[in-house]
Order: sequence, then C-alpha cells, then structure tokens
Amino acid sequence: MRSTIVRIMRIAGLAAVVGAAVVAAQQAPPALVSEQELLDGLKADGSRWLTFGGDYANQRHSPLTSITPANVNRLVPQWTFQTGTLGNFETTPLLRDNVLYVTGPQNVAWAIDARTGRQIWRYRRELPPNLTACCGLVNRGFGVLGDKLFMTTLDAHLLALDMKTGAIAWDVTLEDYTRGYASTLAPLVVKGKVIVGVAGGEFGIRGFLDAYDAQTGKRAWRFHTIPGPGEPGHNTWSGDSWERGGAGLWVTGAYDPELNLLYYGTGNPGPDYHSDSREGDNLYSCSLVAIDADTGKIRWHYQFTPHDVHDWDATEVPVLADLAINGQPRKVVMFANRNGFYYTLDRTNGKLILAKPFVVTTWARQIDSDGRPHLEPNQMPDEKGEITCPDITGGTNFWPPTYDPSSHLFFVNAREVCAMFYAWKPEYKEGERFTGGAAQRVTGSNQKAIGALRAIDPVTGERRWQFEYLSPSTAGLLSTASGLIFSGDADGNLLALDSRSGTLLWRYQMGATMHGTSPITYMLDGRQHVLVPAGTTLTAWAIPAP
Amino acid sequence: MPQRSLTRAVPIVVVSTLALGVSLLAGQNSQAPAQKNPLEGDAAAIKAGMGIFRARCADCHGVDARGVRGPDISRVWAEGRTDGGLYQTLRTGVPNTEMPSVGARTSDVEVWQILAYLRTLAAPAPADPPRGNAENGERVFRANCASCHRVNGRGGRLGPDLSRVGAARARDAIVARIVGAAEGSRPGYEPVTVTPADGQPIHGVKKNEDLFSVQIMDLRERIQGYEKDKMKTVEDDKKSAMPVFGPDRLSQSDLDDVVRYLEGLRGFDPTVKQ
Repeated sequence: MRSTIVRIMRIAGLAAVVGAAVVAAQQAPPALVSEQELLDGLKADGSRWLTFGGDYANQRHSPLTSITPANVNRLVPQWTFQTGTLGNFETTPLLRDNVLYVTGPQNVAWAIDARTGRQIWRYRRELPPNLTACCGLVNRGFGVLGDKLFMTTLDAHLLALDMKTGAIAWDVTLEDYTRGYASTLAPLVVKGKVIVGVAGGEFGIRGFLDAYDAQTGKRAWRFHTIPGPGEPGHNTWSGDSWERGGAGLWVTGAYDPELNLLYYGTGNPGPDYHSDSREGDNLYSCSLVAIDADTGKIRWHYQFTPHDVHDWDATEVPVLADLAINGQPRKVVMFANRNGFYYTLDRTNGKLILAKPFVVTTWARQIDSDGRPHLEPNQMPDEKGEITCPDITGGTNFWPPTYDPSSHLFFVNAREVCAMFYAWKPEYKEGERFTGGAAQRVTGSNQKAIGALRAIDPVTGERRWQFEYLSPSTAGLLSTASGLIFSGDADGNLLALDSRSGTLLWRYQMGATMHGTSPITYMLDGRQHVLVPAGTTLTAWAIPAP
Repeated sequence: MPQRSLTRAVPIVVVSTLALGVSLLAGQNSQAPAQKNPLEGDAAAIKAGMGIFRARCADCHGVDARGVRGPDISRVWAEGRTDGGLYQTLRTGVPNTEMPSVGARTSDVEVWQILAYLRTLAAPAPADPPRGNAENGERVFRANCASCHRVNGRGGRLGPDLSRVGAARARDAIVARIVGAAEGSRPGYEPVTVTPADGQPIHGVKKNEDLFSVQIMDLRERIQGYEKDKMKTVEDDKKSAMPVFGPDRLSQSDLDDVVRYLEGLRGFDPTVKQ
C-alpha cells in the first residue's frame, strides 16, 4: 500500500496556487445543514444521521438494506476510535459529508473522519471541579443546524461549536450549576431553535425545557416542568415543595412538524423517595408533555406515575408513529416507561389508547381507563424498606428503543429486577443531594435479575417475541429495513438479531457495554457501515468490499 | 435519575479517602495556595526555578521571557498579575490554548521556584508608546487576512483563529509570520495537496494524518478524510499556506497598523447575554 503513496515535497507554495481557478476545481462543500434535512430524517441514500433519534419521530429505524440477516455475520471492524478520557460514551454520533460528530464523557467532543476513525478536531470544555451531575460525567450527543453543532454541558451551559473547527461560536448559561443544575441531553433543533433541558432531580432543582435561537443563542422561551403560582397544576404540590421539586429533562424528545408539538418525558419529583413534603400528583413530574414548538406553551400532558416515590423518571425516549387502531388511523406516541408499563397515547391530545406491563410490576395492578394507575397496597417506601418491582433503574430507562414501521413492532431492552426501597426525611441544602432514601437490589435464589430485548405490538401491547439476556442490558437499539436489530448485552457483546423472530444472528465481544448508546448506520463510499459507541471506544463495522 | 446509585456510594468514599491521603502526604495541589510567593528572592529557589523555566517554559516564552511563539511574560507583574493568580495559571494552564498546566506531578514548591526565577526577569511596563493605528489595522486585516483567519467569529477558517493572538504571541513573532520570516506551520495548518486517482488536486491544510490516511480542510473549508491508497498523490507542500506580505504588498505603516490591531486581540467572549 505504501508504494502507492507518493510524497513529493513541493517547491511551489500553496500560496502561489491559491487562486479562484484552483478553488473552483475542488468539489464544493455541501450546503449548510438545512431545516429540511432535519425534517427529512434518515434517507435511503444513507448519507447522514443528523438528529439524536435519526429522525424527529425517534424511530431509529434505518432504510438501509445492504447489511441483511443473511450477510451480517460478515461484518468486520474498519477502525476503532478511543476517547482517551475517563468515563464512558452515552452518545448518539451524527454523520454528515463523511465526517462524524461525537460527544464524549467530560464534555470532550470530536469531529472524526468516518473513513478512517482519525480525529479532525477535538473540543474540551474546562469544567469546574464541583459538578453536581448525579450519574456520571456523560453527554448524549450533538444537535446540528447550519454550520453549527450544539452541545449541552455538565455545568449547565449550551454551546454552539463551529462544525469545521470545533471553535465556540456562542456559549449560554442555562442555569447556575452550583444550585444542582446540569445538562446531558442531545439538543433537538426545530425550526431554527435549539431545544434543551436540565438534569438535577436528585439536587432539588426546578426543571425546565428551553429554546434558544440557533444563530445567536438568545433564549426564545422557557417551559417550567413544575407550574409556578397561579398556573394550572401548581396545586399538585403541597407548600413550597414546587420550588425544588425536580422534574428534570435529560433525554431528547420527539417532534411532530404537522402538529408543531414537541414531546418530552420529564424526570422524577424530589425528594425522590420521602414524599411527605410534596403531597399531590406533582405535575408535571414523571409525565410526557406536549409543548408548542413556537411558544413553549404546554398543549397537553400525560402523567405516567402520579406522586412517584421510586425515582421512576419518565425520561425514556418517546417514539412517534401513525398506527391503525380498530381500523382507524391514529397519530400515536409510544412510550416504554421506567415504571414497567408500555403506553400507546394519542399524540394529538394525550389520551391513553392502551397501557400494559412489559415487565413484572407490583406497584400498580393496571392503568385504568381514565389513564391513572390502579395502585396496589404496601408499595410506599419507608425506613423499614418495602420491596417493589421494577427496581429504581426501572423496566427500561433512557437507552433508546426503536420502531419498525413495516412490521409495526416496537423494540425495547427491558429489565426484570426488583428492589427494596427505603425512605427517610431529608434536609434541603442548596446544590446538595436531596433524595430522602435509597434503594437496594433484592437478591436471593428466587430473585434473579434478568434482561430481555422485547418486541411489543403497539396496537395490543402484546409481546411478539423476546431475546433473553443473562443480566439486564442498558444498551440502546438500532433497527434496519432489512430486518435487523443491533443491540448489546450487559457483558460487552454487540449483538445482531432478526427483527421478525428475535433470532440471534451475529455477536462480537466489544470489551465494554453499550451503556445508553445506540449504534447508528450510514453509507460511506458505497458500503453500509454500523457505528457502535461502547465504553470509551467507537468502532465502525462494514462488510468487506468484494 | 441515578442509574448507578446502587453501586456508587462505596467507591466515592474510597476515592475521596485516597485523595485526602495523597494530598496530606505530599502536601501538593492544595486548594488555597499562598497569595504571595513564599520563595521570592530565595537564591536557591531562583536557581532551581531557572532550570525548570528553561526546560519547560523557554521554548515558547524565550529564555529571557520576552516571548517567542508564546507571549512576553516579563511584564506580567507590571500588568497587574499577582503571585497567587500566576500560580493558578501555571496549575490550570490556559484553557483552549497551547499553554498547558504544569501537571499534577509538579509540586507547589516547584511552581513557586519557577515564579521566583521569572520575577528576576521582570521588566517594567514599556515606556515607548505602541506604534500603529489599530483602526486602520483592522481594515488592512479585513482586506488581506480575514479570508483565511477568523477573529471573534468572523472570517475564514483555513488559518488559525486569531481572536486572542495578542495575548498568545509576542509582537516579534507576529511580525515574523506576516513578513514570511517564520518557518513552518503549526500542527493542524500544514499545507498539503491530495490528488485523487481520478480527479483534480485538492489543496488544503492537514488536520491529521497517519500511514494510511490524511484528514484535511480544503481551500473551500470542507473537512474530509482521504485514504492514501485511493489517491494518486499526497504531497506535503513546502511553504506555509500563509502568503508572504513583504514590503511590496504591505507598507511599513500598514504593517505597524495591522500588528497593533492584532496585539489588541485578547480573546473572543462567546457568552450570550440574555
């Protein structure tokens, strides 16, 4: 290979040839990322992946078909990229014009040559030492529009980076991180606005969803996930508990351009377990909220877990689809919740279409037709402890599911784990942990924690098939039009399965779990690639060229 | 939200105990350094500091601290910096610049030794008024430089961003670069020409390279990677992508003006005021 590499030290300088003619001879760079591209989502040419969920509906279902159930066992790694940082990926990379844009742990980010895995630029944020992020110094990905990438930070800022250089274009403060605010989600860019939220449900924050002008960083609107005095829902919090009631937003939502609505799942109320101080339903914690993308005004909400006491954030990924239900076309949002129930809601009005447990749930018998859970007795944590299923991490969590519109199946990595929940009265101190309890995984011969990839029919809530793991997986998913699902188990295996049957087709031991990450797929120089973030590595896979 | 709360509590306690132990043992990296250099004027400390300074600082700042690639730091006290502030700069480095931290293995004593030596090189604030007209310099810059260099979010990206060049480069280093008296290009800006097997040569600057591939920004600012075995040639260009602005292209007074303008560039504040 080296013999083909000719290296001539040119005598004529580049300056001498910097002329209009030379510039014109080079291939024009692609136009800036447009709003139309974001609306189009994943295209059949596989040339891009521009939003967290691949498209605004968060289906993460690629139209690409080169890699199939028949040939997936011929995948070979093309390259591996190492972050060189502490902490692990929880990101969804973006791809455009053969360049990957990736956020990593510690608010480091890169532009990477998709052909070779080589860095083009690197950005590193200088973070303060006393961060309050509860669950690792992670980030879940970039948003993009024009010539800018958007990234949230652990010290609760939103940054715009120059796509070509990684230089900061603008930097805006979401909130004061010393008061418990952080931000980890991938921004969603909608109609020229960058949509972001804040984490901190364990630190007594008051959550919000913000929209910023993509050009200037000026804030366009703010929606508080906990209504203030005089607003509807404010009376679902006793006393002044609303001021530090949590309800963070740390997972990217979905967007319906026709209805012009954003759909975001909200976090747990605080304190997490000891709830005497916050009597009431605690709106809009543990809810799905539908927000007008232009104004930030709430159109409707659906609360999955009123007055949650098990830290069951509804910060899972909402997935939009159009389904035929009882012969009627319905615009729905599908949602597998941490509380153990799978929901299909009407996304025009938030009305419940169906809800069914997808794991063992002991806290509620069912979701009644009025949309509220029918509670079981003895499921309130106290100082002595109370066993509840699912556990604190939940039936599923923030790792993305997928939806295959041809088979009408919703796929999710589910967990079967129970926990002993404890609660005690906490003292609030600004910026400090404010949870009022703890949870402990239940062990014993009859308490085996398992996990499974489950295919759910969103019309009936029935399970179509499952693939069982040895232990609960925290991996996100990718599905393709050729009938494949890519997943990961809790032991570091990358898995490819047949999405019609759940049959395992291929596996590779990555040496690290895909904790909260999903693979993405795209075409590069005529070959379909699958890119997998796992641990501190990013590995690109493809079938060798013939 | 805590996905890992079940497993986290114990390791945190272990780590913080360890960290406490280390800092007590070594007496390093304390959170509150002295605000005044405890070793100022100490002959042995100055000698030790000279060794460290020459080994680790002089490449960029010069043995006389008057600046080479890096800025002149002989006037930092004259400009109002304090011992405590300089200690912090050495400890943390300057984010997103070439100025690194001295590193965790450098002790407090060594940092103070460096500063004790630097103090002996300290010069008073310059008496000569600075030359040039920054306003005209900006016009010269916009006409000749801004297609490749960015300042405060405006301009091209092919060359280095100059938004804080006044803080990062000594005046002589800026002049040398403009008039073509400086050799080489810094990493990320080395000129390269890539010729695909079936296409026109692509000129650009190199962002990264290994045996098998090269990643460039081309003259139209497209960032892209190329596999060498698919290219006809990959050639390192000898001369900088930066044109030479000799007296034929830039008069002495325009040069003074543009340098004056550049010296005033102390950093871009991207903060959005709400």
